[in-house]
Amino acid sequence: MTTSNRSASSLVDASASALRATATDDSSAVARPSRRGAGGSKAWWAARRGWLFVIPALVAYIMFVVYPLFLGVQYSFYKWNGVGPAEFIGVANYLRVFTDPDLLASIGNAFILIAFFTIIPVSSGLMLATLIRSIKPGPFSSASQAILFLPQIIPLAAAGIAWSWMYAQTGAVNQILTLFGLGGITRPWLGDFQTALPAVGLIGSWVLTGLCTVLFLTGISKIDSALFEAARLDGAGWFREFISVTVPGVRQEIAVLTTITIIAALSSFDIIYTTTLGGPGRSTLVPGISIYRIGFTQSDVGLASAFGIVLMILVLACVLPIQRLSRERD
Amino acid sequence: MALSRPRPNMGSRQSLVRKSLLTIAMATGAAVVLAGCAPGSTATAPSANPEDISTELTTEDVELTIADETGFPVTQKLADEFTKQHPNITFKINLDTFANLAANAPKLMASDDAPDLIRLPTIGDTVKDGLIANLDPYYDAYGWDTWAASQLAPLRVDENGVRGSGSLYQVGLGYSITGIFMNNKLAEQAGIDAPPETLGELEEDFAKAKAAGLLPLMAGDKDGVVNFAIQAAMNQFADKSEFASWIFTEEGATYNTPGNVQGAEMIREWADAGYFPSDINTIDYATFVSRFQGGEGVFTFNGNWAAADTQAKMGDDVSFFLVPPVEADGGHVAMGAANSFSVPAKSAHINEIMYFLNWIHTDDAARQIVVDVTGAAPGGDPAQALPEVEPGSLIEDALEMSATVGAEDGQLDFMSNATAGIYAGSIIPESQLLVTGKITGKEFVEAVQKFYEQELAG
Amino acid sequence: MIVNRSEAIIGRIVLVLVLILTLIPLANMASAALQPAGENPVGLTWPSDPQWGNFVEAFQTGHVVELMTSSAFIVLGVVPISLLFGTLAGYALGNLRVPGARFLLIFFLVGLTIPFEALMIPLYYEMQGFGLLNTQWAVILPLIGLYMPFSVVWMRAHFVNMPRELSEAARVDGATTLQEFRRIQIPLAVPPLSALAILLFLWTWNQFLLPVVLISDPLKRTVAGSLTYFQGQYSTSIPLLNAGALIIIAPAIIVFLIFQRQFIKALLQGAVKG
Repeated sequence: MTTSNRSASSLVDASASALRATATDDSSAVARPSRRGAGGSKAWWAARRGWLFVIPALVAYIMFVVYPLFLGVQYSFYKWNGVGPAEFIGVANYLRVFTDPDLLASIGNAFILIAFFTIIPVSSGLMLATLIRSIKPGPFSSASQAILFLPQIIPLAAAGIAWSWMYAQTGAVNQILTLFGLGGITRPWLGDFQTALPAVGLIGSWVLTGLCTVLFLTGISKIDSALFEAARLDGAGWFREFISVTVPGVRQEIAVLTTITIIAALSSFDIIYTTTLGGPGRSTLVPGISIYRIGFTQSDVGLASAFGIVLMILVLACVLPIQRLSRERD
Repeated sequence: MALSRPRPNMGSRQSLVRKSLLTIAMATGAAVVLAGCAPGSTATAPSANPEDISTELTTEDVELTIADETGFPVTQKLADEFTKQHPNITFKINLDTFANLAANAPKLMASDDAPDLIRLPTIGDTVKDGLIANLDPYYDAYGWDTWAASQLAPLRVDENGVRGSGSLYQVGLGYSITGIFMNNKLAEQAGIDAPPETLGELEEDFAKAKAAGLLPLMAGDKDGVVNFAIQAAMNQFADKSEFASWIFTEEGATYNTPGNVQGAEMIREWADAGYFPSDINTIDYATFVSRFQGGEGVFTFNGNWAAADTQAKMGDDVSFFLVPPVEADGGHVAMGAANSFSVPAKSAHINEIMYFLNWIHTDDAARQIVVDVTGAAPGGDPAQALPEVEPGSLIEDALEMSATVGAEDGQLDFMSNATAGIYAGSIIPESQLLVTGKITGKEFVEAVQKFYEQELAG
Repeated sequence: MIVNRSEAIIGRIVLVLVLILTLIPLANMASAALQPAGENPVGLTWPSDPQWGNFVEAFQTGHVVELMTSSAFIVLGVVPISLLFGTLAGYALGNLRVPGARFLLIFFLVGLTIPFEALMIPLYYEMQGFGLLNTQWAVILPLIGLYMPFSVVWMRAHFVNMPRELSEAARVDGATTLQEFRRIQIPLAVPPLSALAILLFLWTWNQFLLPVVLISDPLKRTVAGSLTYFQGQYSTSIPLLNAGALIIIAPAIIVFLIFQRQFIKALLQGAVKG
């Protein structure tokens, strides 16, 4: 699933309250007897009814997410081409993931993409949200929100096609650069070894900034306006206000968006598949493309599964600390 | 906040930790248990030998499914003609991109939805896994021994999985040939009056074009197609049978031969001299073809399948000829391959599809379609009359080129077909580095050989 | 929010610039789509002779009707069921007393971080085992499962804020949990439900990798999953490719523009409640 599409302002509150719930006794594990009635069977039923409601979601989740995950772990210990018999090889696939320079390079590329998928969208989103907030609500501000959100509506594959076209030697990017007298640096951005990865990264920035903007907008609207007034009355300019009121107020949103966008960066596939396919050379090769190629074109199911599991662990390793940090500050 | 909570908070946090540990323990246990069971089938591969051979076409209504590559309309045209002649047989043709087809083919054939015929550029493990049918019984039944053996040789696989000999597993819908297209108008501008006869002359022509301010060579490498040129260069220097045995994955064959290195170094020189387009790595097959047809580039390396379309767009302003050898009277070596298809072992209509395949090679209308639409040689019995072609057309050139190479025994398969993963996994990325001058020819060859060894060992 | 004059003006200018930047790629696609189909378009220009016919041609030869039908079928299979399951579970975890609710929540939360690449190959074999490969169900069932973490957490966040007194009152009046759920909770949950519906629709419509991996017949995939099919089909026509891509994007944009009021409202509502 393209996690970059997770527009989740309530996810902020959802995960925040979920985490809070896990630290308190709100959704208690203990089934208290029903106050209403004869205790006994009604209580038993009351407690179990909750489970009945959960079971459909649980079954779907286990069957199509958890079970495949375990299958993937299983495959990762074998050498298998997907059709014939499988050969148990222990952790050899994992060793290969950590020692193959091409695979490691793809992980490195994914981390570089974090600069474009996370840092740029989150910071620009915050600033844009502040800008929009400073305008009186009306057609201009709603239009801005809608337009900024448009890249999220478009399938990533289509965004890839549109941008490939723009980045071409004769494309719009070079046209605009020439217009501004920068004709000297025009080049086929996706074909140049130095610029291909940043170019692809910028596509991600384009797609994700709108999401961050909209979410920050809802976050900022939660901040008590008295705080803003107080800051202004104290003589603060926009920057001071931004740093001392806005940013602290949207800490939760920052945490959630950072999480979502990091996941998008590390598991990116669609954009690269429709623009560079990992090239030129391997300069835009990311784990997603690598896993697909290893698993389907080279039919090395074991290695692909191992790489997939490693990718998941990397994602968790990046995301958990962020959740930790946001929880403690609470 | 935590401090103001009563003690139960600590307790529940502890039980939370305990619960999480328990989950992790269970999960690990489950994973270990699952790891003990092997995935996939441990049964031996099913027999891929068809039984119940018949060369009579059934009179029942049958729908045959074909999985083919996008951009090649010839299959549909052949199917339409066949249905015209035999109305009880209809076809459903599923088209997918080359990349998707390559990725999905083995699993598609192993599934219950296996088509009756599938475009299969690389055999890979399909024979070993019993996925495709052994066509020897039909070879005998239809008497294909009159056909050119050299055309069918790359379609054979022996018991060790080595191509070039053994049982027949593939058939071609046309047999292609590659060469160079030249834009006559631009060539004239550059002072080139005739197609080059030697490799040296070709390089001189590139230099002339560059001097005249024209793009010498239109090529693209976003999807690896510049390898038409790379292999064309290697072909002229390498030992043909050594190269063939590497492509066929014979034991002990290596890519790292002096001939291949020399060819790759030549490409590097062309890159350094600026003969390729500056944005070569953003140009894919469709783009480089349309740019050449639009008048950009004096020369381009491509195959007969582009002849019809190029002729339509450029009329008489274009020539098609074989890649010139090193010496003026040296034999021509060119890539050419069957537009190869295999019959999945799970197909329920093997007799019918084999009838269709035989018909393609023997029926005059079918042969005419193959030649008209793709410009490829129709294969089959060399004694059978060749279809009519328009005199002076590129397609006539293509057929002549095929015949020449056949006579001089200079046909080589595409190096990208050597293994299932080598094209996307190694040849394409490394060539992208080579044609932009980032690696030397020797490094290119070594990298590809390394990947080849790794993939075959795995 | 108090802002002074100069800030407001600069703010607007920056905003307008960013809006233009955001729209350029789409404008570019439109300009490429309108150029003559046989040639290679050059950059961003308003073509002197707009070829609206390209859209018609792309529509026909791109099998757009089949693709959209297939996508619609997948959306109909995925979204209602995901909404139902997610709401039920969200309600339970947020409002009912469920033993082990904390654990369940974490269980679902973890699912949010699993990258699809870790699952795509096992899912292939699982679907093969069910005999569903190459049918739309091969995409529908996994998507329902994949959407569960988000849907459950999202709906739970709404239900957690529903006062318990509401449900208590209903129960005192003799309603069963199910009745209370249907009559009282669901109507109140319409805003987050509709936001979730829109999100799930968009994500399903734009699904790319899942269909490419699990459905081999390009005509049975989603519209997004078949964009690469366009790329081979139009071997020499960039304008047609862009026209086709724009046609594919259109329904999603239309749905969004119609519902964006609702959508933003729901997001804001969800936020304010927290």
